Amino acid sequence: MPTVLVPTAYRGPTQGQSEIVVAGATVRACLEAVESQHPNFIRQVLDEAGNAHRFVKLFVNEEQIENNAVDTQVGENDRVEVLAAIAGG
Amino acid sequence: MAGPEGDRLIYVDMTSETVSIEPFPEEWKLLGGRGLSAKILTADCDPNCDPLGPDNVLVLAPGVMSGTTAPTSGRISVGCKSPLTGGIKEANAGGNPGQHLMKLGYRAIVVKGAPSDPDRRYGLEVDGDGVRLTSADEYKGMWNYACCEKLLANYTKNASAITIGPAGELKLSGASVACTDQDQERRPARHAARGGVGAVMGSKCLKWVVVEPGKAKFRGAASSKDFNALNKDYSKQYLEGPQMFKTGTSSVVPVANMLNTFVYKNRTEGQSPDAENLDGARIVESFETRGGEMHNCMTGCIVSCSNVVHDAEGNYKTSALEFETLTLLGANCAVDSWEKVAELDRLCDEVGLDTIETGGAIAILMDSGGLEWGDATGAAALIKEIAEGTEIGKALGNGAVATGKHRGHARVPHAKGQAIPAWDPRPLKATGITYAAGPMGADHTAGLIVNPGLLDPTEQARASQDAQLVNAVCDSSGFCQFLQPSLDDIRGYYGLLYGDEISREQIADQGWEILQDEWAFNAAAGWKDEDNGMADCLVEEGIGPDNALKFDVSLETINLSKQRFDGHEELFTMKASG
Repeated sequence: MPTVLVPTAYRGPTQGQSEIVVAGATVRACLEAVESQHPNFIRQVLDEAGNAHRFVKLFVNEEQIENNAVDTQVGENDRVEVLAAIAGG
Repeated sequence: MAGPEGDRLIYVDMTSETVSIEPFPEEWKLLGGRGLSAKILTADCDPNCDPLGPDNVLVLAPGVMSGTTAPTSGRISVGCKSPLTGGIKEANAGGNPGQHLMKLGYRAIVVKGAPSDPDRRYGLEVDGDGVRLTSADEYKGMWNYACCEKLLANYTKNASAITIGPAGELKLSGASVACTDQDQERRPARHAARGGVGAVMGSKCLKWVVVEPGKAKFRGAASSKDFNALNKDYSKQYLEGPQMFKTGTSSVVPVANMLNTFVYKNRTEGQSPDAENLDGARIVESFETRGGEMHNCMTGCIVSCSNVVHDAEGNYKTSALEFETLTLLGANCAVDSWEKVAELDRLCDEVGLDTIETGGAIAILMDSGGLEWGDATGAAALIKEIAEGTEIGKALGNGAVATGKHRGHARVPHAKGQAIPAWDPRPLKATGITYAAGPMGADHTAGLIVNPGLLDPTEQARASQDAQLVNAVCDSSGFCQFLQPSLDDIRGYYGLLYGDEISREQIADQGWEILQDEWAFNAAAGWKDEDNGMADCLVEEGIGPDNALKFDVSLETINLSKQRFDGHEELFTMKASG
């Protein structure tokens, strides 16, 4: 099953979990599966239109996908990584 | 070509008005920036001195890698005993002075003493012919932009400057030290801001330092072929990666708001209703119609996180408008637009003020009924009063705690006397441990952990310690925290610079020794572990959903961060964060 990698900033809803194995055939399905286990996770990643927030980057197996390509297919052992820009300053 | 051998230290005695140049100790070769400052202050500064008296020592120290061709490596540290916290302080800035000093082979400027006439002003010229202390009375009281424009007209277009504004000259504890950026205009827009370092420079009547690099070349490396190859590879990897900071820290606003750390109205809430208008994305959008751009603040930077912000008429307003400023002078004061914050940011840069401390202070004034929430025009007028040294101006210029005392207002969010940065300790408890127990007090750049899901106390303490250690080494190296180098990255660079392999143990020990030096200084200055903590309002009052987020970390856990944990793989591969 695919694995969703959660950035540190978004681990509040996941109670600190950084990697979550889920069932899902698309990036969206994987994120929704995480949401079903950990409410309030997906709103950190997707906006109201269902695309990734401007300040989020999504990767499948280390290849970045467009923020509006959340329905990208994922394979059985794929890794879906969510990155969020966090910096002080 | 300047290299590690033959490096020197500049000592300036402001009492006798003399300058001496000393050889740089070989045993300090892996120290720069914060680590070097800590070593010098430990040796030469009495922890019990009056921070604004002649016995305090001001250190201006570039990083180990500054002046080389390593990417984004020209940061400079300003160190002293802080008039704000009473402990050791290091504040860090970009711009070009760090690069230029190191190209000339100067590892630090160490300023001691104070002139007998506190009304005099002095400048320090550093170039290939030597170092000279000179009268600068004509610059007295000048705001930073006008000062730099007048000053740099006397030097080549390559020179850089370090200045203080009126706040530093008035010795106010919220005063910053400004460095000029690398743009043609050489604006004093890069500030070593926290902890009142500008006040210490002002207490020594030193108004400016000019560094004229002339034809000084980049510093060489022992293994130059491998060094150049590493530069190429490191830069390529960074530029092919996600480059998360290329629209600036101001773009973090929506994430911070989601995490309940975009604090509103003197930190009484964790989210602002004005987040949309304070979002850095609005600044980037404005480039199309107003001009402005993203740029890099120092030669050799590959991150380019700094914004150049224009006003509605298309004229330059300020640079860089950062997340912390948008939070503390924006949301925290209920100021509702980035344009209004840009005006306040410019004023702080001109007067020479820490925008975090000033934003914290103004919010306390608002919270105590001294100014309407959101009154940006009133806030601007007050920043000008800081420059004038009026009664309220002095209170605000001395920071959040001083403003609270002046107003008789008890609700002052601080740690160790310093205003809390945007990154709030209540949702981010490991970061709170950094503020509560770290040697720098409330300084997110000393160890930022944005992990609201980190709930185990021991892991919180460990995460804070790891981040503190990594950032201490980063701030010694000259690398910018936004390049996010790891300890492995830094030791790899040191190894090629000096031709000695630096082990994981050595680099970790260096970071720990920096922290130990700083903690020892603070202990001698009277800091006690049983006092490590946070203002009551952050412990007792909650924010976020159901107001449940409080800084409820025990003293035991806070102080656990000062007990060295065993090394683990993550310590060497995690990225510096600030």
